[in-house]
Amino acid sequence: MNLNINLKEENTYDAIVIGSGISGGWAAKELTEKGLRVIMLERGMNIEHITGYETAMKSPWEFKHAGKLTEEQKRTHPVQKRDYPYQEANEKWWVNDLECPYTEDKRFDWYRGFHVGGKSLMWGRQSYRFSDHNFEDNAKDGHGTDWPIRYAELSPWYDYAERFAGISGSKENWPLCPDGQFLPPMDLNVVEKSVKARIEEHYKKERIMMIGRTANLTVPHKGRGNCQYRNLCSRGCPFGAYFSTQSSTLPAAMATKRLTVRPYSIVNHIIYDKDTKKAKGVMVIDAETNKEMEFYAKIVFVNGSTLGSTFVLLNSTSEAHPNGLGNGSGQLGHNLMDHHFRCGASGEAEGFDDKYTYGRRANGIYVPRYQNVNNDKREYLRGFGYQGGASRSNWQNDVAELSFGAGLKEKMTKPGKWTMGLGGFGEMLPYYENRVYIDKTKKDKWGQPVLAIDCEYKENEKKMRVDMMNDAAEMLEAAGMKNVKTYDNGCYPGMAIHEQGTARMGNDPKTSVLNKWNQMHEVKNVFVTDGSCMPSIACQNPSLTFMALTARACDYAVKELKKNNI
Amino acid sequence: MHRREALKNVAFLLGGAISASTMGVLFESFTLPENEKNFVSYSLQDEKIFAEFADVIVPTTKSSAGAKAAGLGKFIPMMMQDCYPAKMQESFAQGFKDLQAKSEKDFSKKYLELTPAERTKLMIDLRAISLAQKETKSEENKDLVYFFTTARDLTLLGYYSSEIGCTKAREYVLVPGRYDGNTKLKPGQKSWAT
Repeated sequence: MNLNINLKEENTYDAIVIGSGISGGWAAKELTEKGLRVIMLERGMNIEHITGYETAMKSPWEFKHAGKLTEEQKRTHPVQKRDYPYQEANEKWWVNDLECPYTEDKRFDWYRGFHVGGKSLMWGRQSYRFSDHNFEDNAKDGHGTDWPIRYAELSPWYDYAERFAGISGSKENWPLCPDGQFLPPMDLNVVEKSVKARIEEHYKKERIMMIGRTANLTVPHKGRGNCQYRNLCSRGCPFGAYFSTQSSTLPAAMATKRLTVRPYSIVNHIIYDKDTKKAKGVMVIDAETNKEMEFYAKIVFVNGSTLGSTFVLLNSTSEAHPNGLGNGSGQLGHNLMDHHFRCGASGEAEGFDDKYTYGRRANGIYVPRYQNVNNDKREYLRGFGYQGGASRSNWQNDVAELSFGAGLKEKMTKPGKWTMGLGGFGEMLPYYENRVYIDKTKKDKWGQPVLAIDCEYKENEKKMRVDMMNDAAEMLEAAGMKNVKTYDNGCYPGMAIHEQGTARMGNDPKTSVLNKWNQMHEVKNVFVTDGSCMPSIACQNPSLTFMALTARACDYAVKELKKNNI
Repeated sequence: MHRREALKNVAFLLGGAISASTMGVLFESFTLPENEKNFVSYSLQDEKIFAEFADVIVPTTKSSAGAKAAGLGKFIPMMMQDCYPAKMQESFAQGFKDLQAKSEKDFSKKYLELTPAERTKLMIDLRAISLAQKETKSEENKDLVYFFTTARDLTLLGYYSSEIGCTKAREYVLVPGRYDGNTKLKPGQKSWAT
């Protein structure tokens, strides 16, 4: 009896944070800084900042397979291998798909990293604010449910997130992509500067091009070093030069001495107390021993990545919540979205043969959305932005086919052509029928049921892709590029690793899972602040918005806790 | 080891924590590989042939040592074994035999006994055969062509990611420290390795 009570006391905190990625790290930081004792539960291994980045300082010749995957890696990672992020240099950071399978009713590429830091270690770092257009689009065209907040409400929290994370970028005064609290921008290269000038002149500034806004430091910031221009971010940065849980939020949370991090802790479900109508804690499976245990807290932040969080909620069933925690609306698991991309155009830049670059910039250019605003009307709703850039390759296209010998070697050691590419990132509409649900016919390595995913792009996305190619080609031609070619390499949901939705915010508990504070309508001490909360996804990279929403929700949660409202 | 036994061993390694029923499901969840693990292996003698072959593709020049010095003799067969499906490994191994047979047929010599000029002549033939086969798509020489094109690809990949390739043939800076998007290309300047 005594033992039990002690264990319960030992396992009781003020707050539980499920997940340690971008939003989980922020929740841990904010809640501990506001005085709460927090346990952050991470399902995978620990990775220490700097010392855990085993390949960060390796040169190309120190990799056995020159970056290629082995047959064994392809066998154990049948999903992760589908696209480039799973690579020799950081292959340990991507899940073994055989251990945690899922069901694809339709193809969905689910990229997952189970470790402290989550995908904050491998993310693309592009950081853009949503604009009022994005918060209003659902209400205007009737797709999805209206956002319960507007830009003005989130703007100060964007300021707050940017000031801490360190986002470099240029101010552009572009309404669809609001300016923020930026560190100095990285430089455009000589070809990009020319393309920018010619596009902006040709389109009379109705389209603009800027350097990417990225969570890479251009100057030292809060004890972290600035970017060294190695462009090896996805291996972890020993200089702490990009925002990750390890480099940024975790040290801040640890400094309060109120954070406990527990790796290898798979949250199976949230425990619901029908008397208080609140969550009282979580049930955890130890990933190493398979032992089950419980943790208790006054509030629970769910930050297990979009589909990870929704799995936990769907799996948290009780008499009061038979279809998943807080799912009275029936919307939990629905309205899954991801950006569609992998199409655009590229061309060759002439007249820069005497120009070259020094350093490897971990960033590209950005063309913010310009469609379906003002006089720019399209055959589809919403729009897209472009990422890309110019570079001077070191592969000569004019090398004769299958040639060999000293001539080939000579050519391959000289700088090649300048090329410029623009790749579109398009908004996907929220569709109720794009959904996830629990598939009990399969089990993962730990005996848990798995997620089934049924999601596809529809007509609006398909129409948009045509413009994503053609607009890119037009702009490159307007910029004087030669030999411009369009491409569409095909895209499946999941590939952008911007999966969002499935536990959306909204004002009406009948049509949404979370309220305007990311708080469950039906379970007031549960907050969900990762990508699952999004009622729409705009076309911008989303992580900065998760940071801002998380900080805002933490502020609200602690205030409510202090008022004894939750 | 047979694939199924290997899988079973993995599952047992996961320990007693997994119940018998989970074990059953675990196997259902596994996506079985399409091909059995292949056992084509290469001898030290073979590695010498690969080294000489690769050295014709990327030879030593004034600026830098070639593929042999960069360790391509070991790299090519290692990559074949680790990174290619069984069917491709088989075709590659057959093409490798065909190469040696062609050496005997054309020059009445083993590949390693060929003079540099003869090795170059053989490579010129392989290239011509490969370009012709791309047009005709004929079954004849299929393995030899696969061998030539793949060994060439692996040579270029391996050489330009080797230390010699990165630091001598091309130029490499581990930590650039800054970015300059508008430098003047100096006469004779090498391209960046990465």
